[in-house]
Amino acid sequence: MDSQKLEQLLLSVQKPGRYSGGEIGSVMKNLSKIDVRFAFCFPDTYEIGMSHLGMKILYSQFNAREDIWCERVFAPWIDFEEVMREHHIPLFALESRDSIRDFDFIGFTLQYEMSYTNVLNMLDLAGLPLKSCDRTALSPLVVAGGPCVCNAEPLADFIDLFFLGEGEEVDLEVIDLYKEYKKNGKTKAEFLRAAARIEGVYVPSLYQVTYREDGTIQAVTPAEGAPKTVRKRIIHDMDRVFYPDHFVVPFIEIVHDRVVQEIFRGCIRGCRFCQAGFIYRPVREKSPDVINAQAKALCANTGYDEISISSLSSSDYTQLEPLLNQMLVWTEKDHVSLALPSLRVDNFSKELLEKINHVRKSGLTFAPEAGTQRLRDVINKNVTEEEIFRTCRTAFEGGYTAVKLYFMLGLPTETDEDLEGIAALGQKIVDLYYHTENRPKGRSVSVSISVSTFVPKPFTPFQFEPQINKTEIERRQQHLKYSNTSRKVNISWHDSSTSFLEGTFARGDRRLCKVIETAFLKGCRFDSWNECFRPEKWEEAFRECGLDPAFYAGRTRPFDEINPWDHLDYGVTKAFLIKENQRAHAAKTTPNCREQCSACGAACFGEGVCYEKR
Amino acid sequence: MKSVRIFYTKTDRMKFVSHLDMNRLMPRMIRKAGLPVWYTEGFNQHVYINYAVPLSLGFEGIYEIMDIRLTEEDFPLEEVLRRLTAVTVPGITFWKAAEPVKPTKEITFAEYQITFPEGGDFFPQFTAFLQSDSILCRKTGKKGKVREFDLIPLIRRVETAGNTLSLVLTAGNENNLNPSLVLNTFFETAGIRPPYYTVIRRMLFDGEMQPFL
Repeated sequence: MDSQKLEQLLLSVQKPGRYSGGEIGSVMKNLSKIDVRFAFCFPDTYEIGMSHLGMKILYSQFNAREDIWCERVFAPWIDFEEVMREHHIPLFALESRDSIRDFDFIGFTLQYEMSYTNVLNMLDLAGLPLKSCDRTALSPLVVAGGPCVCNAEPLADFIDLFFLGEGEEVDLEVIDLYKEYKKNGKTKAEFLRAAARIEGVYVPSLYQVTYREDGTIQAVTPAEGAPKTVRKRIIHDMDRVFYPDHFVVPFIEIVHDRVVQEIFRGCIRGCRFCQAGFIYRPVREKSPDVINAQAKALCANTGYDEISISSLSSSDYTQLEPLLNQMLVWTEKDHVSLALPSLRVDNFSKELLEKINHVRKSGLTFAPEAGTQRLRDVINKNVTEEEIFRTCRTAFEGGYTAVKLYFMLGLPTETDEDLEGIAALGQKIVDLYYHTENRPKGRSVSVSISVSTFVPKPFTPFQFEPQINKTEIERRQQHLKYSNTSRKVNISWHDSSTSFLEGTFARGDRRLCKVIETAFLKGCRFDSWNECFRPEKWEEAFRECGLDPAFYAGRTRPFDEINPWDHLDYGVTKAFLIKENQRAHAAKTTPNCREQCSACGAACFGEGVCYEKR
Repeated sequence: MKSVRIFYTKTDRMKFVSHLDMNRLMPRMIRKAGLPVWYTEGFNQHVYINYAVPLSLGFEGIYEIMDIRLTEEDFPLEEVLRRLTAVTVPGITFWKAAEPVKPTKEITFAEYQITFPEGGDFFPQFTAFLQSDSILCRKTGKKGKVREFDLIPLIRRVETAGNTLSLVLTAGNENNLNPSLVLNTFFETAGIRPPYYTVIRRMLFDGEMQPFL
């Protein structure tokens, strides 16, 4: 790639820093000493991709190996894509500025369904055939990991190999196998056959899917020795797993522009709508000493003055207070602020509030998710109204005047009464503020309510549930809007149009590959961006392929139907999900992992909370 | 507390880093360098830095200036330079740390070296254009207000050599003139398609046209 030409062109696009590379901490290597070149692709903009912790971990870990050079690639924004196509610039890696076409691996991370067209667009910009079967050489191998891999059937035609679960070990095992096969001049088919025998590797082309007349799956049959089910991989010892001591620090501002410090994986809660709460099981914690040392090193090496603690539910960390005590010793001295997101209302103490009061004070955010106790029991949120009030009172007494609450709309069994409950809860919190003796004097209260649309996901108890359609989403949004009578309660919601498509891909089968390819060819990309989303193009694509999105998203799936993801094993069993679904319809809650084991199946990994002493 | 004036270059890939982004990069480098710097005492405390004159996105600069404050009076200036050099990125070279001589508001002029790789055939036309008594130019301010002003009094010196143009223009907090504005006004008036060019800000001057220290 001609650097001078590139730099000329960069000056004509928005935010050239997205494409210029050369950031502090980016890794340069001598090609003559490299055996494997890995293009780590994030199918969205630089600012979003660079905020992703998984990419930071794997980038550093791969590059810690002398024989691998891992480089970063992001989806070019539409303005630069136009320039690239006009000037025949192939998709290049930020570090070397080399076209990724000649790399050994092109690895995508699939974080959300609406990024699928960007995957296709990036392959196309690289000058590669989209379909796995049309790329006959051993390299480049197109691989993918991330949460969407738990049902990546809509991308099955395009990706050679998927990584299930956590990548730190399995990715390197596959790279090592590749090195051996490359040296011995083996073919792609030979490699994929061998790779499929590694635990955590799913090679979709080795599975044949047959359908019944009604469009449901008849059977998924493995071929050439591929396993009948593929089990995800987990890291067993969180204290010993690789964690970077340095991040690539971008010049331009990114979404999460700070040190991100992981404290545990998984979640004990089992909220029935939450995919992450099931696919990352079991809970495995890092020790406070390890976390403290890692965060300290990252601050020293990056120069960041802000740390965000990362986990699915920070206040469930068993050693949160000792950890904060350790960290606050040096963070205050070094002018480093500590952010503690993902707190729950049921274990939010005055002591904890005092601790986070030492750091930058923003608003407080909590997620009751549903407006009535009945519906909160259905989704197993296990949070009571009293707990919400107690937390808000603690916050108001601690000087806070703004509270933000997250809810979901369209949950299974939801009625208009549940929606009215959201507005009523907001009003009650406003009233509570004025009844709190020690509230900040002379100041008004503000309650922001943010409502997202529920999308049923695989590997959750709601994987069997129908999703409400666009018209119904909009009706319920309006109903909620008119239920609110307080000017101190502000309700906002996300646009409804992408939710149904997201739901379609989330539970789709591999016949959707054709739809995604068709929509891509019609110009769809960046579908999660309002300014780029073209619903009419998607409608055309579905029509031309003879498929109905409602078949995937809008119907109740019988328990005995074969789902497109049933041959993937995330530990949690289908029997457990069925039991949880039935409990949901009976509005019965299930205790969290630390209260009582519910035999979900994740104990098969032999680690974590399943084996804690209780 | 003591003020320290730091001189540096901003070249190569760093030209894609905007002033706003420099404003996040420099504090991070200073923190990594472990300098005993003074933090502002407001709601969000941050490293105090005063940039003399921001540089436009896409321009290079070899005489860039920022002022910081050290909390240790006797902290050696060579050590400031040494520590910053140890943590810097390609494209930013710290070349001097000194006690400020004049306040930054006394910066009056800046010299730009503008190179046209495709050649400077239009240079005679350009210099003739600048002989006009006045060149009215419109600029949209931050609040969307359109301001009309005369370019001529803001241009101090024009020289050409080969395919390179050297412009000395008023700079600083008031009347800062961007060379692109001069060039674009010319190209528009002359009906020439703007060619590709690179800009290096070579020097900042005080009111007596002496290098600013």
